[in-house]
Amino acid sequence: MAKATNKPLITPEQIRDAYIDYVLTNNEPPKSVYDFAKKLGITEADFYNYFASFIAIEKSVWAILTIEAVEKIKEQEIWAQYSSREKILSFFYSYIELLKTKRSFIIYTLKKHEKRLSAPAILSDAKPIFENFAEDVIQDGLDSGELAQRKFFTKRYKDGLWMQFLFIINFWAEDDSNDFEKTDEAIEKGINVAFDLFQRSPIDNLFEYGKFLARNGKLREKMGI
Amino acid sequence: MKIQESMPATKVERSAKFVKTGFQIGGNYIKHYSKKLFNPDLSRDELNENNASDIYNSLSELKGSALKIAQMLSMDRNMLPKAYVNKFSQSQYNAPPLSGPLITRTFVKSFGKSPEKLFDSFNPVSTNAASIGQVHQATLGDKKLAVKVQYPGVAASISSDLKMVKPFAFRLLGINEKELNVYIKEVEERLLEETDYKLEVRRSIEFSKACSKLKNTVFPTYYPELSSDKIITMDWMEGLHLKEFLATDPSQALRNKIGQALWDFYNFQQYELKAVHADPHPGNFLITPDEKLAIIDFGCIKEIPEDFYNPFFDLIWQDLMKDKQATIDAFRKLGLLQQNDNAKQIAFYYKSYKEMISLFALPYAGKAFDFSKPDFFENIYAWSDKITKLPEFKQPRGVKHFIYINRTNFGLYMILNDLQATVNTQSFRPVSKNNSIANTKRSHAL
Repeated sequence: MAKATNKPLITPEQIRDAYIDYVLTNNEPPKSVYDFAKKLGITEADFYNYFASFIAIEKSVWAILTIEAVEKIKEQEIWAQYSSREKILSFFYSYIELLKTKRSFIIYTLKKHEKRLSAPAILSDAKPIFENFAEDVIQDGLDSGELAQRKFFTKRYKDGLWMQFLFIINFWAEDDSNDFEKTDEAIEKGINVAFDLFQRSPIDNLFEYGKFLARNGKLREKMGI
Repeated sequence: MKIQESMPATKVERSAKFVKTGFQIGGNYIKHYSKKLFNPDLSRDELNENNASDIYNSLSELKGSALKIAQMLSMDRNMLPKAYVNKFSQSQYNAPPLSGPLITRTFVKSFGKSPEKLFDSFNPVSTNAASIGQVHQATLGDKKLAVKVQYPGVAASISSDLKMVKPFAFRLLGINEKELNVYIKEVEERLLEETDYKLEVRRSIEFSKACSKLKNTVFPTYYPELSSDKIITMDWMEGLHLKEFLATDPSQALRNKIGQALWDFYNFQQYELKAVHADPHPGNFLITPDEKLAIIDFGCIKEIPEDFYNPFFDLIWQDLMKDKQATIDAFRKLGLLQQNDNAKQIAFYYKSYKEMISLFALPYAGKAFDFSKPDFFENIYAWSDKITKLPEFKQPRGVKHFIYINRTNFGLYMILNDLQATVNTQSFRPVSKNNSIANTKRSHAL
């Protein structure tokens, strides 16, 4: 123990894995950081070097999986050819595949924080990562003309995708179909609906037309309509 | 190619799609009758045409089993007025494809690799829709491959689709819904089998081996190691679809050659294997550059049980129909006549079904048959038009096996008609049976 001063003997990954193992074995978090560190044979300080609390570990698991998914899909050769719609689809398929590797723990964290859709505190680290990614993809789509530029709503597109994010992980958590086939359908259909809304649609034209008529009200009166 | 932007998501949404079609059809009727007020000569053809196109539009958006049902109805041309058929036939070709990432996803699930890694090249844009899946081109080494990828959730949606299709089938065919159940079930079984790609690969290999001696017929090689329950990999077959082939204005000799290959392919299976490729829609065949028939889909196999095989083929091959009592016995076995039919009903159905089976058997009457003759098909249409109007045929009769056997054989006749081919119809015959009804149960009381 003499040399364990500024170079701790443990990596954050090891702490994380040990925590996941503990939680899944005991179905509850350790009594205290002190207790947990003692079991690991490290000091409390070693623990706090990396994590502020147990919740921080759980948040980091989500964040890391989200980063991993984004990195993984960008490595695909086909990535550059994908439209924005396909990029988002690709993200969710990879994400669900990654979540599968830690399904028990993921579901444990989701269940623990019951108030799901409203306050998913556990996702607070993952959210900005996803939103950054989504914003980039949306911007690409706006630049290429795939998505419609709308005065107030364009900024809300990423919120729409975040809602899909929450919906999809909750759907997956409850999915009991073979190989989560239903989640695949939920992704394919949900994301397609979202992107259909982001695209230029008859509603835009209707809106434009309404604006035009409002502006040219006088002309209308003259025509006797 | 337009990528389909949305697939109706939940059962509710899918139902909504059907409901919408219902409204449209209702609307078509209203339009029809209001026009008719002013123009009494207006025929129902236009109305049928409008209905068919609305149904087609809604079915192709639904994909999956609904599309399959469109195909099936279109195969049963003998049961549908012509206008329906023309529209439905469209569904035998292209349907809009699904997204690239989902294809990658399906590959990763099956093989742990993306298609780009599994193959040397993989075209993410599909070349064809195969009703419950889509086909992609790939290469591996010096091999050019066709890779069929199934849509996720197809199997699960089949039952619910069929439930929704029932009222439409009822409307279209004028059939009582309750009576339809046994048939719907038969269709459901076949459709579910089609979603099992592992089974399809196994059968494809078996059938192409069993049929390998047939002249002028070729089969792709299947690669089980590159196939899974959602993916089938086989050789890419070069060739033309029937319509494209006909557009090249082939010689009569070539038409006959391809027609004969088709005939032999079906009848060899039907009579010798007693299990038949029951999906004779033109998308399942190609005509190769060296003038051979390539069979590229074994999704739908109908096994023919003895208790159908014997009475039915005896009727066709044994001159049984000259003997009224023997014919009636056979009709009973086939469910065409039922236990509690009275004498009048027996006389009526005997006459009607004798007509139908005589039509069916006509190609077998001589050594060869010329399928280009329009009167044969006019007679079939006339017969089916007639029976759809008769109240006696409001409820379907006959054992469930008729669905696929009729579909297969009439489908084959239709393709041969499109080909305008003359074929030797005696190339395969039923395997002789000692217990054929010609020799037994003569004493069966009327």
